[in-house]
Amino acid sequence: MPDSHSKNEQTAMIGIGEYRVGSFPMMTIGLGSCIGLTLYDDSLKVGAMVHIMLPESAGRNDRPGKYADTAVPTIIKELNAMGCKNRSLVAKMAGGAAMFEYFGANLNIGERNAIKVRALLEEHHIHVAREDVGGKCGRSVTFLPANSGKFSIRRADGTTAEL
Amino acid sequence: MKLTSVQSDAIQELGNIGAAHAATTLSQMLGSTVEMSVPAIKAIDISELGNYMGEESAAMVAFELQGEIPHGGYIIFYISRESAIRLTNTMLGLTDMNRTMNEMDESALLEVGNIMVSAFLDATAELLGFIMLPSPPALSLDMAHATMSSLIAQMSEEVDDVLLFSTELVCEEHKIDSDIIMLPEPSTLARIVELMENMMKSI
Repeated sequence: MPDSHSKNEQTAMIGIGEYRVGSFPMMTIGLGSCIGLTLYDDSLKVGAMVHIMLPESAGRNDRPGKYADTAVPTIIKELNAMGCKNRSLVAKMAGGAAMFEYFGANLNIGERNAIKVRALLEEHHIHVAREDVGGKCGRSVTFLPANSGKFSIRRADGTTAEL
Repeated sequence: MKLTSVQSDAIQELGNIGAAHAATTLSQMLGSTVEMSVPAIKAIDISELGNYMGEESAAMVAFELQGEIPHGGYIIFYISRESAIRLTNTMLGLTDMNRTMNEMDESALLEVGNIMVSAFLDATAELLGFIMLPSPPALSLDMAHATMSSLIAQMSEEVDDVLLFSTELVCEEHKIDSDIIMLPEPSTLARIVELMENMMKSI
């Protein structure tokens, strides 16, 4: 019953390091160097969204959504458990910005996050359909699995886009 | 780290003294009275940062805490976009609220942030006998959550919760509302708490 809970359903807010899997609306706000990644299966109309903060977990596994190397396998596994095949999953992502031009150690966390996520998706044979990554602008993302996986971005400068 | 109520009071007192000095400098720059709130200390799980800072547009002037601890965390001068325009308008003698921010605004904000944060850290250094120096400032005019989460991501110690301690500085006359927010690394925080506790024992 994919449509039974799509009406008047509350949007799930995905905080830093969190992820959700399902067909309900999901949203993550204020992505800076973080990555908002979604995987979507059009045949089942389900998807997952995760708000990744850092590329490497270095062995930590208490917050799988926080690190690219734990987040990607975790959401794939959960989607597989719901019957999704990797070849039918489509990935979209936004974020990975550098909010400060010259500051501190200039660790390029945004860029490293994006590179790591792309590499992991490739390892799992998942196609990255579209991305809005980099630059120096904050972004918020809304993801609607029940509505063909619609992925909308609102940028800090007021512009919007759909991937 | 979890703070006891005594430790929390000590940090609050430190914030009070730092913010009082910062408020004085802001008041001098604006030529009007600046009120300050009691410093608020919040331990926030990173997944809940959005409940405190969201998509609202804000100017944030960030400094790394340096000095005796090389990477001590961050201290941030936070001001909402509207307040930032009112502030720079007051400083530059302008009145238009609907204009876009330009380089003049950006250097004015960097300068105000620099002066206020320096005053804050001077006062805390004098009190603690522990020197924290501000790095050169960096400005971000963006969604508050995007800026803050990026700073948390580049902290050198891995954190799942952050201790935000902030003091609100309000200028009624010009309707300017700003905050000084400290985001110390856990080890810096432990050091500050230890110094404050020793000081209170010796009184």
